[in-house]
Amino acid sequence: MEALVNDAAFIELGMPVEIGKIDKKLGELWDSSDDTKTRASLINLVVYTENDATLAADNAVLAAVAGRHACRAILILGNPSAPVSEAKAWISAHCHLLGKGTRQICSEQITFRLDGDAANALPNIVFSHLDSDLPLCLWWKADFPEPLDEKLWAWVDRLIFDSVSWHKPHHQFSMIRHISSSGKSAAVLCDLNWTRLHAWRFALASQFDNAAAFPHLSHVESITLRCAPHSQIAALLLLGWLAGRLKWTLDVENRVFRTSRDAVIPFHIEETPGPNLSFVSIKASDARFELKLAEGSDFFESSIQTPGIPEICQILPAPRERLEETLLAELSRAGRHTLYTESLEIILPLLKS
Amino acid sequence: MPSDILRSNPLREGLAQRSIPDPCTLVIFGATGDLTHRKLVPALYNLAADGALPPAISVVGFARRDKSDDVFRAELEEAARKFSRQAINDDLWKNFTSSICYHRSEFDKLEGYEALAKRLDEMDAARGTGGNRLFYLAAGPDQFEVILENLRKSGLNKARPGAWSRVIVEKPFGTDLPSAKRLNDLVENAFDESETFRIDHYLGKETAQNIIVLRFANALFEAMWNSRYIDHVQITASEPLGVEGRAGYYEKSGALRDMVQNHLLQLLCLTAMEPPAGLDADSIRDEKVKVLRSLRPLTGEDVFKHVVRAQYGAGSINGKRVAAYRDELNVNPESVTETFVAMELNVDNWRWAGVPFFIRVGKRLPKAATEIAVHFKSVPPVLFRATGESIDDNVLVIRIQPDEGISLRMSAKMPGSSLRIEPVKMDFHYGTSFGKATPEAYERLLLDAMSGDATLFARRDEVEQAWKFVDAIHEAWQHRSDDLAVYTSGSWGPGEADELTKRHEAAWRRL
Repeated sequence: MEALVNDAAFIELGMPVEIGKIDKKLGELWDSSDDTKTRASLINLVVYTENDATLAADNAVLAAVAGRHACRAILILGNPSAPVSEAKAWISAHCHLLGKGTRQICSEQITFRLDGDAANALPNIVFSHLDSDLPLCLWWKADFPEPLDEKLWAWVDRLIFDSVSWHKPHHQFSMIRHISSSGKSAAVLCDLNWTRLHAWRFALASQFDNAAAFPHLSHVESITLRCAPHSQIAALLLLGWLAGRLKWTLDVENRVFRTSRDAVIPFHIEETPGPNLSFVSIKASDARFELKLAEGSDFFESSIQTPGIPEICQILPAPRERLEETLLAELSRAGRHTLYTESLEIILPLLKS
Repeated sequence: MPSDILRSNPLREGLAQRSIPDPCTLVIFGATGDLTHRKLVPALYNLAADGALPPAISVVGFARRDKSDDVFRAELEEAARKFSRQAINDDLWKNFTSSICYHRSEFDKLEGYEALAKRLDEMDAARGTGGNRLFYLAAGPDQFEVILENLRKSGLNKARPGAWSRVIVEKPFGTDLPSAKRLNDLVENAFDESETFRIDHYLGKETAQNIIVLRFANALFEAMWNSRYIDHVQITASEPLGVEGRAGYYEKSGALRDMVQNHLLQLLCLTAMEPPAGLDADSIRDEKVKVLRSLRPLTGEDVFKHVVRAQYGAGSINGKRVAAYRDELNVNPESVTETFVAMELNVDNWRWAGVPFFIRVGKRLPKAATEIAVHFKSVPPVLFRATGESIDDNVLVIRIQPDEGISLRMSAKMPGSSLRIEPVKMDFHYGTSFGKATPEAYERLLLDAMSGDATLFARRDEVEQAWKFVDAIHEAWQHRSDDLAVYTSGSWGPGEADELTKRHEAAWRRL
């Protein structure tokens, strides 16, 4: 990241304001708007990034999310290594038409740039600009810092991150496990990489809803997955989920799973250009269950081949590729992702290598 | 049962909890009709787009007209493109329609059903649908009897071991208590009550389902949900449409039997029922039927005191002149069919003693709206008496359609040095808050029927109890017609309806 960020990059982020006058200026913003606009907020959505190159894209994602999930959006660009300590803020609003009428629902956004020492004020910046009584969703778009600021994490209801691009996944996963298990934060861990797997898990589960297919779950012989080069985390998480659900244990040394009856289930992850995850095949004695996802497609091709009944081919909804769709899917889910932590525990040893 | 096996699928854990449908074949009787085109096929497509349909499913359209599978599919595609809430994806549509075929037969020809049985067996073998059959009676109600009879004679009503056979019956469930009993007997002759799904699409709407959540998942409301705090309840279903080419049906039915007997009484039940023992179908339906049994019967002269019926006259809707009901095509010029009903009901139980439930339903009213408004009692007129301020009562409004949501009216001090009290509204809109499209009622109901979950379907005793109540009113109307009022199209109904609420020092809500 450059030491100093050009203010021109912030022009699209709204009206510059003094940090101490943000609430007042937001009030003025609403006072000056016409009667067709209504402010709405269901959550506080805080986005923290240290990458100024993606700021415009982050802002666009927030605008898209606010259009469908009203929120108080707080976008923070931190640059702790900047030589000069400085904090700046901008305010803006994202409005969208409600139905076919002229009424507009608006979400407000506050954008901060925190340089140098000012970056240490992150918890205070967050705490002092939350919409009260609403859940706090923190989307952390940087590596997790050490040591973790426990005051900040203690306030977070949903901690959102995306393990898809982590270079040191074992270290990062260990840190979020610490956040989760320290007892100082009740934050729900929301890995967008896991969110994208929802459609895969749903489609795989659907394949075994078929009474003819269901018994084969107990006789899985091998699993093959295809993922994009250097993007094995999603494939591993999916394997961890399957293993957890089917009570398999991981034999780290031999990189295979073992069933409760000590049957060995090898797995193969092939890297091939294309989507992050593009193919899953489960072989079970004389049956085969496959899901294929072509580049850019919104649908899986599902195929079930079991003895005694004809091959069943089906088209099923696949994960949306756009980041805002993934984020919206995550925000619309409730409850803790216990299966995520369970799956993560299973595959964590594989991430060390 | 296959469903039990499937519910134990360990891969399902942690995924969205919803009905898991079994592989099956859906047979639609009346497949060339409006309901199939506007509602059923778009609903099935949307379920397919959401990945909610079972891996193995077939749809068979059963109707009298001669046409090929391809022509039938092309007609459905045209309708789906027009009426589906999600845009049609060509690949998905192609995959979806590969499961659809057309079966031509007269409804009263047994051979047609025998051929259907053979075809369904072949489809089971070809598509892995496991012998599960769901029969949807989307034809006219005058065809129900012959369809049910032929289903029984051809053995289609009986599933083979390990499979199921179910029937979905569209409203109207009869035209009065005797005909409803007769229809129920016919259904029962072919299908067990647990295999019978009577659709009232109002129950499939999100907000109708949310009434139970609102009431029983919020301590705030349930504690006050009784005669101590509630002054009265208003349930309104209004529409600007007229009879719209349905005169043949409407002339025999009228607003009371078309809307009150089913939709409005169902909404009343959800509003007034006691907490159910569980969320299973029978626990909820047990409580609903208790409300119907607690309705104070209206008979004889009481009907004219507590029920207002009226018919729309000429007027204007959205700036356009519209004709009077009696001038509509195929309507008897001397018709006494009511297009508007307003009534005061009493639920004679401990919780609701002394709380009137006002119901109004009508055609050619200013706007389309269905809602339940719970009016709370006034605060004691003590504290603010000296200020001369009148304080509006709290009103909780549950909007069923359109713009599904909930609003709460309360009083607040106006900013300023003087004490001025004004009503303010807290508003919750499904569309704004949850940011995703609400599924159509038929999507949920079809899925539930495929899964064997009857919670959102009416049970025989509910239907018959509702007819018993409504029949008494209808019976009283048969003895005179001088009470039939006329209201101007585009107005909120006749003045007589206002008298009902006035007697209780209340007024109809301005929608």
